[in-house]
Amino acid sequence: MVATAEPNQYINMAKHFFGASHPLFSAFGINLDDVGKGVSTMSIPFNEDLCDRSGSIHRGVIVTLLDTNCGLAIFSRLGDMRPIATIDLRVDFIKQPEPGDAIYSEVECYAVQDAIAYVRGRALSRSGNELLATAAGSFAVGTRGPSFDSAVKPQEQE
Amino acid sequence: MSQASLSEDRHPHLPATDLNQVQRDILDKTPFVGFLGLTVSLSERAFSCHMTFREEHIGNPLLRTFHGGIVASLGETSAALYLVHELNLDDEPQCSSMTMDYLRPAFAGQLRAQPRIVRSGKRLVVVSVEIFLDARLVATGRYIYSRQSPRSQ
Repeated sequence: MVATAEPNQYINMAKHFFGASHPLFSAFGINLDDVGKGVSTMSIPFNEDLCDRSGSIHRGVIVTLLDTNCGLAIFSRLGDMRPIATIDLRVDFIKQPEPGDAIYSEVECYAVQDAIAYVRGRALSRSGNELLATAAGSFAVGTRGPSFDSAVKPQEQE
Repeated sequence: MSQASLSEDRHPHLPATDLNQVQRDILDKTPFVGFLGLTVSLSERAFSCHMTFREEHIGNPLLRTFHGGIVASLGETSAALYLVHELNLDDEPQCSSMTMDYLRPAFAGQLRAQPRIVRSGKRLVVVSVEIFLDARLVATGRYIYSRQSPRSQ
């Protein structure tokens, strides 16, 4: 079920994932740090436009970063970029980031079964390496809509 | 931005005075809430938050849907605003956990979030939010708030 992929294929996936321009990724400054089979690390720099009233990155931004990161972790485990959609996502907020802190996140796609991909991950502060939030969720694989890359032909999609 | 939106024609029957100061501070002084671009609709019986699609909200550019994190943020902000009024809070409540169910694609358009309190206890408050695109339910969120002081202290 899980296709094998050359290491550089993950980088190609990431390029497709981020595309030439993605307005939300650009606004958030989402940066890919690392991607391997089923694992992905992304970060966002500190940005005062994305803060809460205490000057820390808003928890909604952390959720958005984690949800985004789930997508690439799943694609890298699948070995292709057939369409996916979030079924559910739980995020627990452990600690508020310090004002001025950048955030990074690590997500693992640990299983794909019956066209459902399962993920878990966490967000940490860039400066102190402190745990800020944990996430767990599931995604539908092979949903309607065009693929994110050319590796999947339309007739292969459900 | 939100303050200006409130006085626009969208809800002419809603004087801005219907929002209390804590709610206005959440709407007008939180940079990320400004990024979301929320408006509040208030009546005696109903409270809802609205968010109109902007390109910066996009999740899947091929389908043109709202990003799941943006939908979650709309829900959480609506829950916080609602709690401030319902529980007469003197500060923004701190969300300790959220669980989202995404039920249908949230295509570019205007989303409406409708919160309700499931349980208000001494320590914890549980809020459920239904999020609609036009008349269709596209997501539900469950948000847990702690009544303790902020966890960063």
